[in-house]
Amino acid sequence: MLDSVDSTNAYAARIAPELDRPTWIMAHRQTAARGRRGRTWASPDGNFSATLVMRPGGVPGWAALRSFLAANALFETLALEVDRTRLATKWPNDVLLDGGKIAGILLESAGSGGQVDWLAIGIGVNLAQAPVAEPDAAFPPVSLTGQGGSNIAPEAFLARLADHYATEEAILERLGFEPIREKWLRAAARLGETISARTGDGVIEGIFRTIDPAGQLILDCADGPRSIAAADVFF
Amino acid sequence: MTDTPHKSDVAFIRALAELLRENDLTELRVKRDYAEADSIDVRVSRQTIVAPPPPVAPSAPAPAPSAPSAAPAPAAAENDDPARLPGAVTSPMVGTIYLSPEPGADAFVKTGDTVSEGQTLLIVEAMKTMNHIAAPRSGTVRRILVEDGSPVEFGAPLMIVE
Repeated sequence: MLDSVDSTNAYAARIAPELDRPTWIMAHRQTAARGRRGRTWASPDGNFSATLVMRPGGVPGWAALRSFLAANALFETLALEVDRTRLATKWPNDVLLDGGKIAGILLESAGSGGQVDWLAIGIGVNLAQAPVAEPDAAFPPVSLTGQGGSNIAPEAFLARLADHYATEEAILERLGFEPIREKWLRAAARLGETISARTGDGVIEGIFRTIDPAGQLILDCADGPRSIAAADVFF
Repeated sequence: MTDTPHKSDVAFIRALAELLRENDLTELRVKRDYAEADSIDVRVSRQTIVAPPPPVAPSAPAPAPSAPSAAPAPAAAENDDPARLPGAVTSPMVGTIYLSPEPGADAFVKTGDTVSEGQTLLIVEAMKTMNHIAAPRSGTVRRILVEDGSPVEFGAPLMIVE
């Protein structure tokens, strides 16, 4: 538990080499919070910022499945505060509340020779305040209290999230990815409908069919099914 | 296990066989650990026509997926595939390449840079996981084979560090 830190993911990367077991790092304030590809992430007081850092071993493709474990765990944690029908997952690890962005998850890993050395799962949740929406935001930021949810302290939120995540990790270890995939799909927004995926090459539009056993997004496009490993999804 | 993993395994092996043929490789081995009791270890190999062909050599052998195969196929003649160069750093996953920590920032490394073992060379993103690819050894970045923001396949050569 830290009072203030540059970023919980950056801190995780620094302590990872010495780590002997999975560890949660929570900070009341992040002075250099970041999102995907250098996007800023506002983490005002009262909101939740934490990173789970671990040394899972294995190949990067397996480590990356934790995106879905984290999304499922966050979904269940939020479902204790609001009716679960108002929550939805968006590929791969977003959780939406009433269609708005209540949280952000950023995973970072490092390794060489095809093996993962460490993995950091950074999770930010707008418990108390939603940052001001950027004009082009596809999913307007919302907060838990702003949507009528209870006023939960970050410490209490962490305790529940850590429990839910531990259960997801046990499912992965004992039963494999399939039950995690099925659970994620049950909560997925726009399944069977047309969605768009913005990749480095452009925008791919297609019917959101499923996610595959590697977690890739499967879209039925005009020229056949496409599997997508990295993209921003919007609809 | 249901038959779903089996089907995907078959598809995976078929994809490897195609990769082998398209890139004119003689052998390809992939080991993936999905979980403690769930892994796949595939080696696909084929014979290539060496010049001059031996009198009894088959004219154009089809790629033969096998897991695992018998003895490795005879070595190819000259092969310019960067993935086979000794200093090749290959992608451990399907994803998107980022050569800098964030848009607009300096690249992690550039051609000619001296790097130390463990230093980040680039990022491969998949499932919103930013996977930092570390230099497997100290050396010099000889070639950068991928572009920022481009998609990359499993096993594709990324950089040459020697």
